[in-house]
Amino acid sequence: MISWIYLGIAVLFEITVAFSAGNAQGFTRLWWTIATLVSGAIATFFLSLALLDFDVGVGYAIWTSVAGVGIVVLGAVFFQERLNLRKLSGIALVIGGVIGLRLSGAA
Amino acid sequence: MSNTSSNQTSTGRAWVMLLLAGAFEIAYALSVAGSQAFTVLSWSISAIVFFLLTLYALSVALKSIDVGIGYAVWAGIGAVGSAIFGSFLFDQSLTLTQAFWLAVIIAGVIWLKLASSEKAQPEKPGLVAS
Repeated sequence: MISWIYLGIAVLFEITVAFSAGNAQGFTRLWWTIATLVSGAIATFFLSLALLDFDVGVGYAIWTSVAGVGIVVLGAVFFQERLNLRKLSGIALVIGGVIGLRLSGAA
Repeated sequence: MSNTSSNQTSTGRAWVMLLLAGAFEIAYALSVAGSQAFTVLSWSISAIVFFLLTLYALSVALKSIDVGIGYAVWAGIGAVGSAIFGSFLFDQSLTLTQAFWLAVIIAGVIWLKLASSEKAQPEKPGLVAS
């Protein structure tokens, strides 16, 4: 259970990485670049804690794809980005896959 | 004329950078796993180096490649690669069912990233960068 919490924290900071890197404009803006590196370091550390338990392929895939879902959902909530059927089906695939991995004993 | 060919060269370079970014991402994931929560020095250093390399290569690639397509390719390479190489390197084998669900997740994230590029090309059915 604790490894899922580590993975969740890693996901939150990976979303921060995506947001900061997007604002860093090719890493020409100092503070956004620093924010990218700091959140990347925190995300990596918590991912490493989670990977003590998860297989690397499984843990990494869940981490990166749930972060991807978070980015799309936050974009829709805070930045008025459209949530279309394609995005929703991608979200459904990721969630279905995570549940499948959990039920099949891989995670 | 010369403008077109230089554009093609820079797009070609961008794709090389994108594939490199994917390879660096695999190395990053494997290093993070091998670092045992950053208690093993060599793997820890390798994780930091590949983290910076993947960030750099991706940012260069995305200057010329559509962000949605770029992220989709990069995320796909990273996820598939770390599953395959991880299973060999750390002897972590999956059952067929588990591999199926892993493939579902990876397909989901690739699909999601591709869907995110729609904003850049409104109402265009084809996603191939022209």
